[in-house]
Amino acid sequence: MKKAIALALAGVMSVGLLAGCGSSGSSSSGAASESATGETSATTASDSGSGSGDLSISWWGGDSRHTAYQNALAAFTEETGIQVSTHYGAWSGWEDQTSAALYSDNAEDVMQVNWNWLSQYSGDGSKFVDLNEYSDIIDLSQFPQSTLDACTVAGKLQALPVSMTGRIFYWNMNTFKQAGIEEVPSTLDDLYAAGEAFKTNLGDDYYPLALGEYDRMLLMTFYLESTYGKPWVEDNTLQYTVEEIATGIDFIQSLEDNHVIPSLQTMNAAGIDGNNSIDKSEQWINGMYAGIFEWDSSATKYQGSLADPSGFTVGNEIKFGDKANGGFSKVSMGLAITETCQDKEAAAKLINFLLNGDGASIMGSECGIPNSASGLAAAEAAGAVDELVLEANTKVMAFVDFQLDPTYESNDLKANPGGVYTDVFGGYSYGEYADSTEAATDLYDGVTEALEDAAKG
Amino acid sequence: MTPMKLETRHKIARFFQYFVLIVVGFVMIYPLLWMIGATFKSNAEIFTSIGFIPTNPTLDGYIAAVTQNYGGDINIWRAFLNTYSYVIPKVIFTVISSVIAAYGFSRFKFKGRDVLFSIMISTLFLPQVVLNVPQYLMYNTFGWINSPLYLPLWVPTLFATETYFVYQLVQFMRSIPHDLDEAASIDGCGPVKILYKIICPMLSPSLVACGLFQFMWSCNDFMGPLLYVTTPTKYPMSIFVKLSMDGDTGFNWNRILALSLISIIPQLIVFFAAQDAFIDGIAAGSVKG
Amino acid sequence: MSTASASVRRSPFKKWCDQNTGLFFLIPWILGFLIFKFYPFASSLYYSFTDMNFFKGIREYGIMNYIDIFTEKETRTALLITFKYAFITVPLKLVFALFIAYILNFKIKFVNLFRTVYYIPSILGGSVAIAVLWRALFRDTGVINTLLSFFGIQGPDWLADRTWALFIICLLRVWQFGSAMVLFLAALKGVSVDLYEAATIDGASKTRQFFSITVPMITPVIFYNLVTQIAQAFQEFNGPYIITGGGPRNSTTLVALLVYNYAFKENEMGMACALAWVMFVIVMVLTVIAFSSQKHWVYYAD
Repeated sequence: MKKAIALALAGVMSVGLLAGCGSSGSSSSGAASESATGETSATTASDSGSGSGDLSISWWGGDSRHTAYQNALAAFTEETGIQVSTHYGAWSGWEDQTSAALYSDNAEDVMQVNWNWLSQYSGDGSKFVDLNEYSDIIDLSQFPQSTLDACTVAGKLQALPVSMTGRIFYWNMNTFKQAGIEEVPSTLDDLYAAGEAFKTNLGDDYYPLALGEYDRMLLMTFYLESTYGKPWVEDNTLQYTVEEIATGIDFIQSLEDNHVIPSLQTMNAAGIDGNNSIDKSEQWINGMYAGIFEWDSSATKYQGSLADPSGFTVGNEIKFGDKANGGFSKVSMGLAITETCQDKEAAAKLINFLLNGDGASIMGSECGIPNSASGLAAAEAAGAVDELVLEANTKVMAFVDFQLDPTYESNDLKANPGGVYTDVFGGYSYGEYADSTEAATDLYDGVTEALEDAAKG
Repeated sequence: MTPMKLETRHKIARFFQYFVLIVVGFVMIYPLLWMIGATFKSNAEIFTSIGFIPTNPTLDGYIAAVTQNYGGDINIWRAFLNTYSYVIPKVIFTVISSVIAAYGFSRFKFKGRDVLFSIMISTLFLPQVVLNVPQYLMYNTFGWINSPLYLPLWVPTLFATETYFVYQLVQFMRSIPHDLDEAASIDGCGPVKILYKIICPMLSPSLVACGLFQFMWSCNDFMGPLLYVTTPTKYPMSIFVKLSMDGDTGFNWNRILALSLISIIPQLIVFFAAQDAFIDGIAAGSVKG
Repeated sequence: MSTASASVRRSPFKKWCDQNTGLFFLIPWILGFLIFKFYPFASSLYYSFTDMNFFKGIREYGIMNYIDIFTEKETRTALLITFKYAFITVPLKLVFALFIAYILNFKIKFVNLFRTVYYIPSILGGSVAIAVLWRALFRDTGVINTLLSFFGIQGPDWLADRTWALFIICLLRVWQFGSAMVLFLAALKGVSVDLYEAATIDGASKTRQFFSITVPMITPVIFYNLVTQIAQAFQEFNGPYIITGGGPRNSTTLVALLVYNYAFKENEMGMACALAWVMFVIVMVLTVIAFSSQKHWVYYAD
């Protein structure tokens, strides 16, 4: 008898244990099997339980952008009474987290998105809300139709363009002057000369320019497009042969050989890698690396981290070939509302506030020169448009003459570590390739594969 | 044979023993001691001096560590709270569920036991990496990703999934003589009562050791929260430290090191308070192999 | 067995219950195994034969992932490095652990203090905090290079040089030899003093005694440490993820990190599963080899 009771007890214990989990398991799997809305209600219920706001927003950037967003959000809360909780970080590693959050429907209500994410993560339009539906809240007429078209994927306006951006050189003229150079470099020969001057006048540790793997890829694209006069990718096809790409890789290597840029090993040693961008290195902060090739929308981050920012100067775009100017501009980033957002109208209000309304005057040029006409006017009226950013943006827009293919920025290609660009330019700089043709072949194959993959949908 | 006296040789041997122990021990502990010293140094001094004692002690690193936030609505205290809100359940559930499973494996004979036992042993060698992706997809279907209760991090431990502890406890239980439970059984105790009246008290040192190890490992766990926690308000310490390091422009090393040190203080306290339990616990389990 | 002595007249159900009491206690474990281990394990194998992608789902079936793993540079390098990592760290850890345990086993004063000092790294070594510390130690202008410069040595760029980067990741693991050491120490204490006395009378030197008495007597613990350390070494993730991010040039991208990158950076779950399976098979083969070699060198007293 006792034994039977004991057995029953043991059974109850185990069943109890099971029931404890069984119930949570079954209830949640039940929720999962319901429609997407059922699942999202569970998620947001949990959010409101733990979070501190009615809405949530995420963005990446440097310290100055974080501050700008926080101030703008505080103003938004004051105006509307809507609390906004935040999630922000540095760009490195950001896309990994964000893509996983998007996949698991845990992303924030409003997201600052990179342009290529729209096609990469929401190619079927399932992740982001069609903002056309909120045109009564957001004044879409403030945006040029061309940029709205660029953000329309799968027939939905999945994000609103924050700004247009392109790459341009920035120089720390304080160091250039120490090296005996007064003028910003405007030609390739100027770059070589600067490399020589830095080496002889300042020493081996000083370089006029610092380029990471992706920067090298971008600069090479500018070079090739200018030299050969054709876009990098058109109609989802790579327009360059292995031989042509090899000349581009030789060009990048010539910069390294002429002491214009440090080798990637030297940069790694300075602590610059996939996790740590150039602006965090002492070499940049103290002026030993005196130049970058960056998006005009994120240059203030580099200016802000300089120990002495007085010499920070917008350079000129350099025309490397004679067939075209080369280079491209793109939608720098957009603001999107995720499908899992509970209060989409409030989210739309927030986006309108940040891009068209008073928020734009606080954000200023922190995310680049506002694409919205009223946003730009508000920012200019408030004196919040950084002259450097405006100058750089004007120069970029006047110079570049090619389109960008969305696959160019896909994570398979640009991830660091692991992406094709990273492996080719890193490998070449570290001497892992016999010659530039071998590296060019890898790049050619990698890009072709990524394009095929994108075409598969 | 050397003409040296036995005693002299003995003394020389002694000297070398202590010499090796002290030198190697110093090398082992140097990084930690340096770290403690570094948290009191200014950023300018950190990498120029290799000693432990700061020349101009400053609390800047600590002040920055407890006041500066990074990444969203999260700060150091919240991160601590978050960490322990899933570590403690995890520890308790691991111990309870492991002891039940170990009891079943070690004290009873039934058909299929040996098969189950060898399956259990083989999961010891099953790398977590193999399971990560499907587990992630499964928890996603459950709606557990970014769960406010950290469900993916502790629910599995209710089911004795931490094989290492089950295995350890089986070893311990086997060393408890069967006469005891037989006597108790004759006195009318059922198997459940035997487990908590007789086995558990005798096992208590090992249970404590298992709990302590699970505590340490769970506090150190980085990949779990990295995958399953996405909202900053829910970040545990391990993620908070990592993100603060990434986000810091120009690396305020004294802040990062102070933050790191603070993050492991609870673990150090637990370790020093219970170090004998740790060391005996680890030593006792495996010897029988 | 107590259950066997139960009275004869019982219903078949009760009898079954009596015979299978142990099974009731295993119900949670069995469920846990099926849900959290076996199902993921099996579906991982399934996904490994697909091109499963987070956002695109499954579009293709086949063995393409496995072909890629053995033909592509990235995966082959990762496998090679992981082997290197395991074959450097496991023996070094065991040798250090045994050596220090051997010394501690002499009647040493402050043995507890020493034991604590050697053991702390094992407790903390896996934490993010220590990984951060490692970065601070081995920066180009870090403490180690400052230390070396006092001796007039120009230290290498630890984190930028492919060989040294792997070395410091290995060092982090070897630094945690304390847990293995504690096991050895307990085993050494268990070796009967009589054996040594007899050997001393026979005139065997200390070295001789070490290799012909000590080592054979503790082979079960050596075996245990060996097997567990191999399994752990192949799973290392935190160190490379936080300290080097897998770089420079993938020189510290161990398999576990590459699996993570495939799965959560590039969303290629199929490839991630295949790579994890390749690693699993390798670990399994090594473990089986170790177990089957047992009878040749492991000495069990009973």
